[in-house]
Amino acid sequence: MVVHRALRMPVGSTAVFATLALAVCRADDAEGVPQPQAAIARAARAVVKVYGSGGVRGLEGYQSGILVSPEGRILTAMSTVLDSADVECVLDDGTRHRATLLGADPRRELALLAIDATGLPALALEPADAVPVGTRVIALSNLFAVAVGDERVSAQRGVVSAIVPLQARRGAAEAPYAGDVYVLDCTTNNPGSAGGALVDSRGRLVGMLGKELRSTTSGIWLSYALPAAELVRGVAAIESGTSDAETVEDARPFDPGRVGAILVPDLLDRTPPFVEAVVRGSSAERAGLRPDDLVIAVAGRSVGTRGALQRELGRLPAAEPMRLSVIREGAIVEIDLGPKPRVEERPHREDER
Amino acid sequence: MTRARAIGRLRPPTRDEATTLHRHRGGSAACPRGARRVATWSIAASLLGALAATCAAALAAAGDGEPTRAEETAFRAAVGRVAAAVVRLEPIGGSAAELGAGAEAVPGAGPTSGLVIDPAGWIVTTAFGVPVDMQRVVVVRPDGARLAARAVGRDAARGLVLLRTEPLSDTPSLEAVARDGMAPGQWALGIGRGWTHAAPNVTVGIVSAIDRAWGRGVQTDAATSPANYGGALVDIHGRVIGLIAPLPADTAGMPAGTELYDAGIGFAVPLEDILAVRSRLEAGETLEPGILGIAYRSRDRLNGEPVIGSCRRGAPAAEAGLRGGDRIVAIDDRAVERIADVRHGLGRRFAGDVVAVTVDRGGERRTVQVTLAASLPPWRRAVLGILPRENDARGVTVGWVVPGSAAAGAGLAAGDVFETAAVADDADGSKRVDLEDVRTLAGLLGGVEPGMRVTLSRRRGESVEAVTLEVTPGPGDLPADVPTAGDIDPAGGFTGTTTVVPLGGAEVDQPAIAVIPAGERSRGVLVYFGPPHGRAVEAEAEPWRVAAGRHGVAVVIAGSGEPDRWSRGDMVAVERAIAALQSRTAIDRSRIAFAGRGAGGAFAWLAAERIQTPVRGVAAWDSGLPRQASVRPAEPGASPWVLLGQGRGDLARQIEGDRRRLEAAGITVGTLPVNGDALPAEDLCSWVNLLGLL
Repeated sequence: MVVHRALRMPVGSTAVFATLALAVCRADDAEGVPQPQAAIARAARAVVKVYGSGGVRGLEGYQSGILVSPEGRILTAMSTVLDSADVECVLDDGTRHRATLLGADPRRELALLAIDATGLPALALEPADAVPVGTRVIALSNLFAVAVGDERVSAQRGVVSAIVPLQARRGAAEAPYAGDVYVLDCTTNNPGSAGGALVDSRGRLVGMLGKELRSTTSGIWLSYALPAAELVRGVAAIESGTSDAETVEDARPFDPGRVGAILVPDLLDRTPPFVEAVVRGSSAERAGLRPDDLVIAVAGRSVGTRGALQRELGRLPAAEPMRLSVIREGAIVEIDLGPKPRVEERPHREDER
Repeated sequence: MTRARAIGRLRPPTRDEATTLHRHRGGSAACPRGARRVATWSIAASLLGALAATCAAALAAAGDGEPTRAEETAFRAAVGRVAAAVVRLEPIGGSAAELGAGAEAVPGAGPTSGLVIDPAGWIVTTAFGVPVDMQRVVVVRPDGARLAARAVGRDAARGLVLLRTEPLSDTPSLEAVARDGMAPGQWALGIGRGWTHAAPNVTVGIVSAIDRAWGRGVQTDAATSPANYGGALVDIHGRVIGLIAPLPADTAGMPAGTELYDAGIGFAVPLEDILAVRSRLEAGETLEPGILGIAYRSRDRLNGEPVIGSCRRGAPAAEAGLRGGDRIVAIDDRAVERIADVRHGLGRRFAGDVVAVTVDRGGERRTVQVTLAASLPPWRRAVLGILPRENDARGVTVGWVVPGSAAAGAGLAAGDVFETAAVADDADGSKRVDLEDVRTLAGLLGGVEPGMRVTLSRRRGESVEAVTLEVTPGPGDLPADVPTAGDIDPAGGFTGTTTVVPLGGAEVDQPAIAVIPAGERSRGVLVYFGPPHGRAVEAEAEPWRVAAGRHGVAVVIAGSGEPDRWSRGDMVAVERAIAALQSRTAIDRSRIAFAGRGAGGAFAWLAAERIQTPVRGVAAWDSGLPRQASVRPAEPGASPWVLLGQGRGDLARQIEGDRRRLEAAGITVGTLPVNGDALPAEDLCSWVNLLGLL
């Protein structure tokens, strides 16, 4: 959406300059009120600008990274920026260092870089508890590459808006990570933000800013961060050289017609999952399914369309009960279609379509 | 629970009542520990009463807006008061596209939120989450239970929907912030459940402005998006400011709210406004924006003076006795000075509401009661009955007077020149318009309807006199004996000859064939869609040459991209063909018509409806209107003239039905005489010429 992108860009950048304009330096009170300026001053020293390949197909050649050890370990987002032999990191003091890629966690899309330097100001990477919704946070990143030379990265204020599993994509590619993320009330969906630090108002690292993705459930651009606990796991996976990647589900859609539940023809863009007919003597009939039932969920997962119903049935492992929630005459009825039949080894071509 | 009690509970309490309510509501949302300790001096009398004051005090103590934990605890307390009244809504089916690669936020495609305004099962949400074509939606309670819901009533002015579902226990009663209690700068928290049913999502900002979008919405910089549309915008005390909604595009006077989701602009419809119309929505009404039915003299829709240009026939303003020339000075006792003030005055009124409109007519004030309408009766095209000549001189020169028309009755004749015109029925009927050219007169006639009187100053030779005539409906059927272009416009260079050329060649995928009349300009353009047969060939131009030359009309013969059917791509090709035609002959873009036979007739209608170029006439024979045709009510200056062929049997019945449907929408319909397989080229070309009838 052209309008939207055009509107969004300047907003993102003005937000940078409006950052924390309200904040006033105060001494800690009896409660130990934190000082956000001090927090930013401390944390921002550990956020670096990462420059690599880019400039093609609208992809930027820069992003952000977090120093996670004084010996030059930099955690950043795995992206096309790193598809270069010449990745360079510019530290808070303006010094420029050639970086080497130590390893990557393809599931969380994290990469660990190393630069040849010591005694650096790092942020502690600790498996902290998740911070709750409503927590004030500060995003530190090289968004839009507005910080040049030894200029410090930009700070944005925000709030943790939600903690939900990531359901997002970039173009046609679905994000491989599907665990919890912090959805931020802070526009961090910007070029260069990825790999930046999310800190609390005491300057503690609570997450890493994610890439520019769209939600697959609502279609909106997402501003999100990977929680610190996931960063710890990701670094462990990289350092041990193992992968804790879950087996990727690649289930084919399952047509409930195979157990006697015939759906309405798929004629609309979002055909509602109505049952058109129930085959006599089928397990669907025995389970009590009726024509005109409207399926709204499979095993507790919502389905809003005929296609979503078939996908959710496809995700169920074989022999799992196919539990449907249907709307019948305005009320919700639970139906168990019985165990899911085993998928044939060699599907017909027609099934694939 | 009875409705009366429900309304009583949800009515925004007065200040005294609010205190009482606090006192009796117990400590279900106890003030967070930290906040309370900061404000130990609080003198609030009761536990929950203390909450609001305490949180506010916490903020005050923190001073100067420093982000402290006191703020965070205040946010959580405010959210905690309302969160249980915000539920997740999931769409089932609908016409929106499924969200795929590169998917935008589209209405009805993804989960949104709803606000429980009554635990008896009444939920308000937005038309973004539940579009008109989607009556089915599932409510997901915070505990994950799903409930079926249906749309009961709609507020089309603000894009809201009232849903009915099963009773929802444990939902808090809401306290609405009164309008006079809102001010820019106050905290505003957005609460939704679009991400997950289990926990509310929270965005934080302030109230940016009140009474935006003609008074329908409060503006906030708290992030709004499909994740919280239908949720609550609350103040720091957890009182509901409004329901988060992307206001309909027209309402906001800017891109629809969805496009603004991270631009720092969001809207909420005040809860007290929603509660004010609740009973009407419960009764199943659809509330439409209220219309007066007037056009202003000024083209500036904001700062222009609110002087009425014309009142639509049968529309509320005309029925109440308002007239062109009246200056609106007050709406419901609120003085107005600009058009924007009038729009503000009407912004929160619905169709069916009665509004007091005060006007100044010639120095005299009068107030009339106007019952606003949801829509206007279709506009009927009115004409004098002349075809003008095209010329560069000032004024409008008559080229031909239609026999039997108002113009003929008034004794007008070819060669007469109109210098000024005025609508005689206006309150200030003396206000004359200088006729710069044909377009000025066409514009003036766009504001009149059959039966109204127009006064023209007519110059004939040396004498100038005023002629007043009553305009009549534009003819449906073609008048007989329309003269040739050369007779109508002797200086136009129309010799009757034509040239035949392919249009565009390399630039156009499906080159169309054009028959172009001699002379510098064409009096109109006819695009013909025959039975689909692939690329058009030059021989097809032959039957059109005589008629095109006679009437000075350019005829474009379209080819189909596929050999056996018309498709969407052919619409693009036609648009390019018209553009290509413009490089060969000057065309009058107000006289472009589409005609077609059989499948081409149905396609002509669809193409006319969907392409960017305004198409003023559609003719179809051996076919009826396509099923997808949307017949929109005629609007001033934009109403097509339709010619339908006759048919036999079922087709005749369908065509008759189409005719009634078009006429009900105020569209001028006539019959196209067709003989067998012969192309009605003569009638169609003279018809294109007549599209310029004034």
